[in-house]
Amino acid sequence: MLILGIETSCDETAAAILEACPERSRGVKKSSFKVRSSVVLSQINIHCRFGGVVPEVAARKHLENVLPVVDQALREAKTNWPKIDAIAVTRGPGLITSLMVGVQTAKTLSYIYNKPLIPINHLEAHILANQLTNFDLNKNLPAISLIVSGGHTELILIKKIGRYQIIGQTLDDAAGECFDKVAKILNIGYPGGPIISQLAKNGHAAKYPLPRPMIDQPNFNFSFSGLKTSVLYFVQKNGRPEKKALNDFCASVEQSIVDVLASKTIAAAKKFKAKSITLGGGVAANPKLREQLGQRIKTVLPNTKYQIPNTEYCTDNAAMIAVAGYYNFKKTSKSSWANVKIDPNLSL
Amino acid sequence: MQLTSHSEKETIKLGQKLARQFRGGEIILLQGNLGSGKTILTKGIAKGLGIGRIINSPTFVLIKIYPVPKKRGNKKVGKQIKYLVHADAYRLPQGEQLLDAGLKEYLGRQDTVVVVEWGERLRFLTKKLTGVKSIRLKIKNNSHQIII
Repeated sequence: MLILGIETSCDETAAAILEACPERSRGVKKSSFKVRSSVVLSQINIHCRFGGVVPEVAARKHLENVLPVVDQALREAKTNWPKIDAIAVTRGPGLITSLMVGVQTAKTLSYIYNKPLIPINHLEAHILANQLTNFDLNKNLPAISLIVSGGHTELILIKKIGRYQIIGQTLDDAAGECFDKVAKILNIGYPGGPIISQLAKNGHAAKYPLPRPMIDQPNFNFSFSGLKTSVLYFVQKNGRPEKKALNDFCASVEQSIVDVLASKTIAAAKKFKAKSITLGGGVAANPKLREQLGQRIKTVLPNTKYQIPNTEYCTDNAAMIAVAGYYNFKKTSKSSWANVKIDPNLSL
Repeated sequence: MQLTSHSEKETIKLGQKLARQFRGGEIILLQGNLGSGKTILTKGIAKGLGIGRIINSPTFVLIKIYPVPKKRGNKKVGKQIKYLVHADAYRLPQGEQLLDAGLKEYLGRQDTVVVVEWGERLRFLTKKLTGVKSIRLKIKNNSHQIII
């Protein structure tokens, strides 16, 4: 079957065509997926100069771009509307005005072309992005999934696909938000994550002793506000680090964030006897996090599988929305579009 | 009125106290730098309203809406308050943009308490609406000062 995915929850306008082949062998259902096309139009360049996403600008850009992006996805997949079996769209969480554009577009397309519409939770899509690899979550349960992005830092226990339990989350700032805010304090640009990560490559992570908030607390919650404040106080006292010192400083900040994320994830996997650990979300594209979490799992939990999506499916994309659509397909019908509503605060 | 807090706990307690005076329709503009305790004070306000959920930063999504549970331990709290709206203008140098992002719908509603971080950017509301209150947060000599 072919599923069209649409994603507009923040500042990426994305559409993708996913080919899903359900198979049954020896009673175990396994499905294979082929991304026929995945178009992502980022507004990063537009929002850079504001130091973040401007909602009204984002919504207007989504509105301009969404139909051309859908057309391009169809074209690149060499397919057309009659062959599409269903439409999947992000209904939350995200920016209210951005979500509205995607959902209204999807509802309209669903009505005109008479295709079932599947409302998707953006967080579930980040978890299921891993199904786009050879990995099958169904065979590696229970699993612990760490979803880290600009708006999220959540540790999720997965007992089966569709049943998720948030076992830990940030009590203040999200990991990606911490990267952004630190980058703003250091005045090095937006978005903070990739810029800090790039500078960190040539720096020594042990140079600046920064806090690792809540790392020793026996729970799975995170806090990054204190780290941000430490950076602010440091800069107020010593001035902005320059050149080599800036690289070292960025490496130290990145290491602090990675340490907290990795140690909490591993602790959660131990406690819930997870067979696999998966990553997802924009910050999951961070090379240091990908590498160091992998190394630690290898040493501490050698029998636990470690699965990360390709970086293109970590940051917001519509292929993951279509995959989530596949797993939620049964819950929908051709007239269900009328009941789809956005929910900016949607939880798992 | 100027209050001093020496810890997160104290700031949360202050927030709880504040919330007990709310009757619905309040728009609280929190003004203070990074790390001055805006989110912590909001946590306290939420706690005071009887909200059990984790309150974290709304910077990314701009607006978070928390339903206030009907049955609350503290009966002093305004009964008609149904929602706490936690908004953040950090990413929006022009505060009006936050209104366009959906905040407008919640302003002036008697069943809602609105708390805005980086509220200095929305000070223009003071002249337009009733119920707008400014709270300034400052760090001085290692303690947090909260000016109401």
